[in-house]
Amino acid sequence: MNEQALIQDAQSGNLDAFNTLVLHYQDSVFNTALRILGDDDLAADATQEAFISAFKSIASYRGGSFKAWLMRTVTNACYDELRRQKRRPTTPLEPDTDDGEEMDSPRWLADPNMTPDQQAEADELEHAIQHCLDNLPLEFKTVVVMADIQGMDYTEVASSIRVPLGTIKSRLARARLRLRECLAGFEELLPSSFRLEVEGRAQ
Amino acid sequence: MKPRDIELLSAYLDGQLSSSDSARLESRLKTEPELVSVMDDLRTARGYLRQLPKRRAPRNFTLTRKMVGQNPPLPRTYPVFRFTTAIATLLFFLTYGLNVLAPRFASQPVYGMGGGGGGDVELYSAEAPAMAEPAATEAPAEAPSVEMVPAPTMQAESTPAADTTREMETPVAKEGAEEAAGSALTQDQPQALPEPQPIPPLVPVLWQYILLGVAFLGAVLMAVMRRASARRWK
Repeated sequence: MNEQALIQDAQSGNLDAFNTLVLHYQDSVFNTALRILGDDDLAADATQEAFISAFKSIASYRGGSFKAWLMRTVTNACYDELRRQKRRPTTPLEPDTDDGEEMDSPRWLADPNMTPDQQAEADELEHAIQHCLDNLPLEFKTVVVMADIQGMDYTEVASSIRVPLGTIKSRLARARLRLRECLAGFEELLPSSFRLEVEGRAQ
Repeated sequence: MKPRDIELLSAYLDGQLSSSDSARLESRLKTEPELVSVMDDLRTARGYLRQLPKRRAPRNFTLTRKMVGQNPPLPRTYPVFRFTTAIATLLFFLTYGLNVLAPRFASQPVYGMGGGGGGDVELYSAEAPAMAEPAATEAPAEAPSVEMVPAPTMQAESTPAADTTREMETPVAKEGAEEAAGSALTQDQPQALPEPQPIPPLVPVLWQYILLGVAFLGAVLMAVMRRASARRWK
């Protein structure tokens, strides 16, 4: 994929070229929105909004990392969504079990390649991490999602959220420490490799 | 633990420190177990986050032209048709309004100095009975003149045939005079006022039909152009 050529075509209004970029980046953009918002439906909405906004403002892209530029767009879409949530709080509708209780791990999200036990563990671990992420301040969460989940380097993160490099380093360090403290309460959910590491350090 | 040290450790984990800073930190790590512990915590947290499963997008987020408000490219002549249709429609309503409103303004009485142009028409129509009245009053005056014509004196010596002719003419003249006198008597009654002349439209109706035709034709052509462009675009 010749990204620069596609971007130039998209800048001249070629929607097909832009859609090729969408197909390439949609998983990253969706995952970023998912980790910031913590909800699949809201993340899907924010992703769609982000791509629409990106196409409309692609003329303002002046080179550099396109992924970082896209991440800025999706971050803004997530912030908008969170502001909307704050204005009009809603109660999520979790699916019910046969007993009428809310189901935390819907069946349709299950991976068919995993055993039920593995699936349950993976779901619980993911929920634990997402829970700790949700407890972080928004500016910390954004940085940690971009750097540690999306694997972006510091410069890309800095250009995405338009803050100095030093601020990125500071926020990332503090976010990691807070996450570690939060996840300490979920040790039994952690993968065996991490548990061994923790136990080894304790001895 | 100083916040600055935590930042250094986090950046060190990501390989974001300069070689001199890295060397300095590595030497401190050998002597400060607290630093090692914090670095392990940071590494563990980073590991958790990297372990998070990457979700696939639940659907494709490709954009449609409708989503981004794109319209199909229209022919270059389209703006000409649009302009012509708009002008024709505007003129049609303008002329229609003029033709409808002008008689209403014309029938308004004139008040004061600011009566406007409509008052002229009123004045004109008010003059109509005044002009008719003398015609009616003149008739009796002229009628006797028919009887007083010197014809009898001139034809006094004429043949009896001429007399009969005169007798035949005279009753007619008398009847005309009586009718004229009668009509003069009934001039004061309002129902006898002559009908005011209808005011012709300011803009000929034919022009209105032409403008309407141009507007309609332009609209149809524009619709066809849009549809053809949309079909080609798909």
